[in-house]
Amino acid sequence: MAQLKFIITGSPGAGKTTAITAISETPPVRTDEATTDSLASSKSETTVAMDFGELTLEGGEKVFLYGTPGQRRFEFMWKIIAQGGLGLIVLVDCTREDPLADMEMYLENFSDFIGETSVVIGVTRSDAPGAPSLDDFYNRLQDSDRLFPILDVDPREADDVSLLINALISSLEYTTT
Amino acid sequence: MSHIEIGQTGKALCRRVFDEMMSKSDAVYGILISTVDGNEVVHSFKSELSSEKLSAMLGSMLALGENIAAEAQQNNCQFVIVENGDGYILTLRLKEKLVLSVIASNEANLGILHSLSRNGAEKLASKLK
Repeated sequence: MAQLKFIITGSPGAGKTTAITAISETPPVRTDEATTDSLASSKSETTVAMDFGELTLEGGEKVFLYGTPGQRRFEFMWKIIAQGGLGLIVLVDCTREDPLADMEMYLENFSDFIGETSVVIGVTRSDAPGAPSLDDFYNRLQDSDRLFPILDVDPREADDVSLLINALISSLEYTTT
Repeated sequence: MSHIEIGQTGKALCRRVFDEMMSKSDAVYGILISTVDGNEVVHSFKSELSSEKLSAMLGSMLALGENIAAEAQQNNCQFVIVENGDGYILTLRLKEKLVLSVIASNEANLGILHSLSRNGAEKLASKLK
């Protein structure tokens, strides 16, 4: 039976833990700890090592989902978690100051990984005042001749997370044909 | 930057406890208090180490260690220990939101490291509000 390892990354509070919790068939592994820095005003707990969940696709393939911590000080975990991964989901939170820059930062930090695999971008809280539109995200990618799937998602909804996973699988199939 | 601020007096107090711990074993060359979410609070190193990087890594390690223990149906994780060719790194929770880490060379006696880390943590916990 095929096993697929996918990574979910993105800014702190973007919904990585929530997405894995929403879709995992088993109780997810979570490493949440109390937030003690400036993030505490918006989030009482944060992932400090990894999240892990699993689900089974219709064809019987197992998907293992690994969530990274969002803060840059945990960059070492991004590299550890990415090992052996087949694809990346980047969640971008539109309530943050500069969501387009957030997207760029995660794409840049995972650029080697993305070069060998595939990536899908999930835009969360897109109804926030002043949030960039999906076109803004596409345009930012096109400025540097990149084109990746971008979806407006609610990470609390299993169907939305499933949509991201299916887009990632389709993208992988496309790049390997 | 951590919002857990123990002030200069608190840091001086911690460093005095660190000195006491180091005086009990010459093999100990680094002691660090960080937050559970990976921010540095106070450290005392005898060699050049990155307290920022170590704080983040040790926060991850303690969280993983505690989770692995729970997954294996073991309770009350006391220490997470990394034993290496060159020495040891002991990490334990200090109060609710802090992490105490002790770094020692391979000349250390692991039993002594256990006791000085535990005793140091108790002393620090009683003094830190």
